[in-house]
Amino acid sequence: MDSKKVNKKDIGKLLSQWSKEFTVFVPSKENGVAMMAGWDGTDTSFLDWYRNTVIPPKEHFLPPMEEMFRFQKDKGSYQLEQPASDGQKQLIFAIRPCDANALAILDMTFKDAYEDPYYLSRRKNKLLVGLGCINPYDSCFCTSLGSSPSDVANVDLMLTDIGDEFLIEGITDAGKELIARTSGLEETTEADDARAKEVKEASYHKVTRRIDTGDIGSKLLSCFEDEDYWGKVAAKCISCGICTLLCPTCYCFDISDELVKQQGTRFRCWDSCAFPIYTKMPMENPREEKWRRVRQKVCHKYEFYPMNFGVIACTGCGRCIRLCPVNWDISQTLNSLPAKT
Amino acid sequence: MKQESEWKPRLLGFLCKWCSYAGADLAGTSRRKYPANIRIIKVPCSGRVDPLFILKALRLGFDGVLVSGCHPGECHYQTGNYRARRRIALTKKFLEYMGVEPERIQASWVSASEGGKFAEVVTEVTRELKEAGPNQLFADERHGTEAT
Amino acid sequence: MKDMEQKLRNEAKTLLEQGQVDYMVGFEPGSLKFTTTPLITRDKNDVERLVINPFMANNLANFLTELKGRIGIVAKGCDSRSIASLIQDNKVAREDVVILGIPCPGIIDLSKVEKLIGKDRDELEDIIREGDKVVITAGGKRSEFPVNEVLFDNCLGCELPTPQEYDILLGEPASPVIDRSASQASIEQLKGITPQQRWDFWKDEFSRCIRCYACRNVCPACFCQRCFVEETEPQWLMPVPRWQDNLMFQVIRNIHVAGRCTDCGECERVCPVNIPLRSLTKEMYDIVSELFHFKAGMDKDAAPLMTHYEQEEAEDCIR
Repeated sequence: MDSKKVNKKDIGKLLSQWSKEFTVFVPSKENGVAMMAGWDGTDTSFLDWYRNTVIPPKEHFLPPMEEMFRFQKDKGSYQLEQPASDGQKQLIFAIRPCDANALAILDMTFKDAYEDPYYLSRRKNKLLVGLGCINPYDSCFCTSLGSSPSDVANVDLMLTDIGDEFLIEGITDAGKELIARTSGLEETTEADDARAKEVKEASYHKVTRRIDTGDIGSKLLSCFEDEDYWGKVAAKCISCGICTLLCPTCYCFDISDELVKQQGTRFRCWDSCAFPIYTKMPMENPREEKWRRVRQKVCHKYEFYPMNFGVIACTGCGRCIRLCPVNWDISQTLNSLPAKT
Repeated sequence: MKQESEWKPRLLGFLCKWCSYAGADLAGTSRRKYPANIRIIKVPCSGRVDPLFILKALRLGFDGVLVSGCHPGECHYQTGNYRARRRIALTKKFLEYMGVEPERIQASWVSASEGGKFAEVVTEVTRELKEAGPNQLFADERHGTEAT
Repeated sequence: MKDMEQKLRNEAKTLLEQGQVDYMVGFEPGSLKFTTTPLITRDKNDVERLVINPFMANNLANFLTELKGRIGIVAKGCDSRSIASLIQDNKVAREDVVILGIPCPGIIDLSKVEKLIGKDRDELEDIIREGDKVVITAGGKRSEFPVNEVLFDNCLGCELPTPQEYDILLGEPASPVIDRSASQASIEQLKGITPQQRWDFWKDEFSRCIRCYACRNVCPACFCQRCFVEETEPQWLMPVPRWQDNLMFQVIRNIHVAGRCTDCGECERVCPVNIPLRSLTKEMYDIVSELFHFKAGMDKDAAPLMTHYEQEEAEDCIR
């Protein structure tokens, strides 16, 4: 492997170097809530506690709220003002493979019939430095979805924790070029490379939660109409938005306008299919009942998205399981679907 | 940005139709002078006022909110003002705990014959709001104090 | 607790078998360590999954406004107050619930445990309560702490550990560990700073809110079919998660549930971005108690807070 390594003690120096070219985002805690936030220039203590963030990195591509444009009423006509696009290059440090894979899944939607300029311009300007997991949560299940804690599929660089050091691999051209112009990195030894391989192997087996995705689309199709079954599955759900808002592959949004005297803004913000009024229309609400919404969430991720885009819209990050107020667990539901009829 | 000396407090009043609004009318016909800072919304009863209206008014940038109704025992709908009293009391205390200046939420009992009292109340409340200063609670960088 | 569990399962089975209830609502072990999850079932065979343990955080009364028919429901002290409050509001008829009361000595707050040990929940081996101590095993090492260091803040201020309103009481009255000053600590801290600092504090906190509405949806007192945030004619606030809208949402929510909030603490527990919501709800609870001498759900036959009034009260805020 033509990989490099950096001592964990020198991460600050590495980030400082990269900060000259990029705005660097690192795992940070705000009142105990982990999220990717702008690096303050010195603090690398996240290396002690970081497993994964609560708010997924998708917030930097599809923010919880964004201004689509501003408008000024001017004697009966409207002047539109596009938000200044943030041309700054950004680097997200220590993104986990599940969250990076989620971005690739989001890309499919935002590049589909319509290319979403807001999402895509953010996507273009960002470099993803992945960090393989060595301590997955008991709620993680990436290995059931064709991935692993050391999956490099959607990152530009990949870091692997080999003890006192991180092994660094360039994955994409952009990643390799960044390594080439980064100073202070050492060459790896054969022992380092072997250790990295060991760590990656071991981390795969640390993921204990598994779901059987075999034939899952058609299993879901066959029990789609079973109101009794889905009623039981949905019974304890409280229809809050946590599982969907904090899911790295969920992308539903709401658009609303605000007018104050002569000035206005069109906002886009996160929305959730779990909310009872999500599908409310003047004549009816097709998902008035909770069991329909719960069914929708499961089927969208595991049946419809694969039908449309060829991939399950879930990367096994486990946030939905970890953060659900009532411990509703999608892996339990998927593992106990009724037999196909 | 208006200069400090030019700033006049904006007060939103919810006046019950049967007593306080009539009292305000009487203040007018009796030529009682009181500051013109108040904008009045007529409600059928002070009990119609949901604390949501008070918060929304503050959000919109009003410097103060006045809820005025019939004296206890004289409500046209018997008990509406008792409900209002409970709601206003706990809204005021709760918002004070959150950090809102207590002067911004005001309440009074003004009967239909108390034109003088109404004028006094508005004068007094306006004076208190002048001291409290402009409402910056929900100000943001774009809209200043005029938010939606 | 094992005796209580067995008694619970027997009672629940009987209730379902004899058709005395249509649903049984209780706690079963969760899919994560040291977690329980609500069990809502019509099937008498499911009752074997019912448990009683120090991790029963959910307020099951929340499900009463959604399930139809007669409901057998497991209730800790605070939950039974929420049930009584719903009966006061005429949302639930007393004869439609069979309350299986659990005398509750306090529920363990996993985030406090995580802070004490410096490890996440899934990295711990065991958490066992032994009377007024808790023994936590992590990395092979046993540590002992006074249990009040790991109980939820609202449990430390518990006003009704043993349900007063019940059909079946599953055990002897509980003697919880009370530490009212610890329970009030975060609120007292807020009262010690200036109003401007307090407002700035809440501005900060609500900047993190993502409007998931978990706080509202987990609350038994929030049962409106159409919440004010969903109203568009008129639109009171934007669905956009700006701090101004987030803060307004929470303030109004608190005012709307005043007199029906029983300090169960669920709103704060479920918030995914750690907003200290109980510092709002408990203060409202205390304001209601102080101004109107009323505590939610203590007497199912009492008139709800906002429908009752005294001839003379709270006049000092009115000109």
